[in-house]
Amino acid sequence: MKKNIVLMIIAVSAATLFSLFAGRNFINPFSLDDISGKILFSVRLPRVLTSLLVGSALGTSGAVLQGVLRNPLADPYILGISSGAALFAGAGLIIGSAFLGPLTVPLLAFAGACLTCAIVGVLGYRRGILLPERLLLAGLGLGFLFTAILMLIMSLSSAYGTRRALLWIFGDLSMSDWSLIPYGFLLAGSGLTLAIARRKGLNALILGDEVAFSLGFSPSRERLLLFASVSLMTATAISLGGVVGFVGLLIPHIVRFLAGSDAKVLLPLSAISGAGILVIADTVGRTVVFPSELPAGVITSIVGAPYFLYLLRKKSMLGMR
Amino acid sequence: MMACLELKNIRFSYGGAQSVKDFSLSAGKGGLTGLIGPNGAGKSTVLKLACGILKPAGGEIKLFGKDLKDYPPKERAKLVSYLPQLIDVNIPFTVRELIGIGLYPRDAKASPHETDEAMEAVGLRGKRDSPVMELSAGERRRAFIAMSLVQGSSLLLLDEPLANLDLKYQIGLVRLLRKIIEERGISVVMALHDINTAFSLHSVCVIKDGCMYAHGAPRQTITKDVLKEVFEVDWENFPTPAAP
Repeated sequence: MKKNIVLMIIAVSAATLFSLFAGRNFINPFSLDDISGKILFSVRLPRVLTSLLVGSALGTSGAVLQGVLRNPLADPYILGISSGAALFAGAGLIIGSAFLGPLTVPLLAFAGACLTCAIVGVLGYRRGILLPERLLLAGLGLGFLFTAILMLIMSLSSAYGTRRALLWIFGDLSMSDWSLIPYGFLLAGSGLTLAIARRKGLNALILGDEVAFSLGFSPSRERLLLFASVSLMTATAISLGGVVGFVGLLIPHIVRFLAGSDAKVLLPLSAISGAGILVIADTVGRTVVFPSELPAGVITSIVGAPYFLYLLRKKSMLGMR
Repeated sequence: MMACLELKNIRFSYGGAQSVKDFSLSAGKGGLTGLIGPNGAGKSTVLKLACGILKPAGGEIKLFGKDLKDYPPKERAKLVSYLPQLIDVNIPFTVRELIGIGLYPRDAKASPHETDEAMEAVGLRGKRDSPVMELSAGERRRAFIAMSLVQGSSLLLLDEPLANLDLKYQIGLVRLLRKIIEERGISVVMALHDINTAFSLHSVCVIKDGCMYAHGAPRQTITKDVLKEVFEVDWENFPTPAAP
């Protein structure tokens, strides 16, 4: 167990370093000139930081949500948060309004994500309790609605705007710049801290509300706090990196398989490995088909899904024998 | 002797008709008490009321002499734990991880040895790293009982722990509970359907339509007449149970 954890941390650190120096031109860290220093600091570093941020927020959100909803198939987008964010950001990209300059898309996405969380939260509430089944159904319903509206807008719009919107939806980190990173770290960091602080409540909720109560927890309070933490992390991740697939759904399963299901281990390791996988995916995405770029969200799924299937074949996961 | 659990004139309804009416029960320390009664008689409701999951509409519930409402949740959790009949776990917790969750209500310095001892007590030491969802029904029940044990509970409320278990596991589980009660001085109140098993308990409480119908030592309480009145079963030759 311990060996796996250490290996994971080393692998992610190595990937991060490699990602900083690899790209259109390989930058030799030991002979930096002015230009390569500038590229490193103002292009590569913000992009790598954004990948780390988005990946860790998504990995942790997935791990929390699978527990809160007691459903191993849940991912951060199952509550419709991504559809709300995509609708707002997509509409902004297509209509081409940039009233806030480069911050327009992330801010629109964040607004859409928060609005969706609020609506899903209200719909999921009944008699003072946040019910997992209601949350899930409300999220699914709202997600379909928002996706349909976005598709409607897309089918009526110009080719350029649609392509930009599509790229964004696939998970695109090419727009990363320094201006948003501090806010990103603040918001996603608060969500992560909140989730880790409520790790015991998360473990207890997985055993059902009655057992959680019997263990001395207030199930509805724990669920509300964890829902808030997921909303923060997912909204931040989407507004910075678009809708990156795979990380939120499968990273928690891979971590459980390698290191165990206790939230004490699961949450930090989902954050670390989510960050790692996205950094690797983004490095691949911006180097293999140079001068063009592949969205990181596509790579995560293309590389990650087969690995997941391999693990599935090797040992029981998802509770299947 | 102070009773560990005392219910006095409890009333409760889920919104319609009263499902528990004027129910009183007292369980002494170190006993294995069974709640028997037909489906829907109110056995589960009584157990959920006794640990605070449901709030009674009237009456008094005392845990170790103190009103249940007056315990902070963590203190309450150290005294009483409740296990529902079915616990779906679809996240692959291992036995050790699951039992570790039982330590939460305890103070930070609860020893990890207790997890091992609890695993030993329920005979799951060899399965410590197996996912709970891959255990047999009987092993799974035992794993959850071990979780309640490390919680420190002096009173275990078990909702039909014998359901879906074959004869061997049923007998094994009852023996295990008796052993734990003897070694640790805890008390167990459990709902059950098997009348034969009920004879091997210290006391039984017969519930009908949310009311206490009879209460006492099994041999005096479970009679041909009670079975006829409560379960509407006519036994021509009611078997004299063998001693367990």
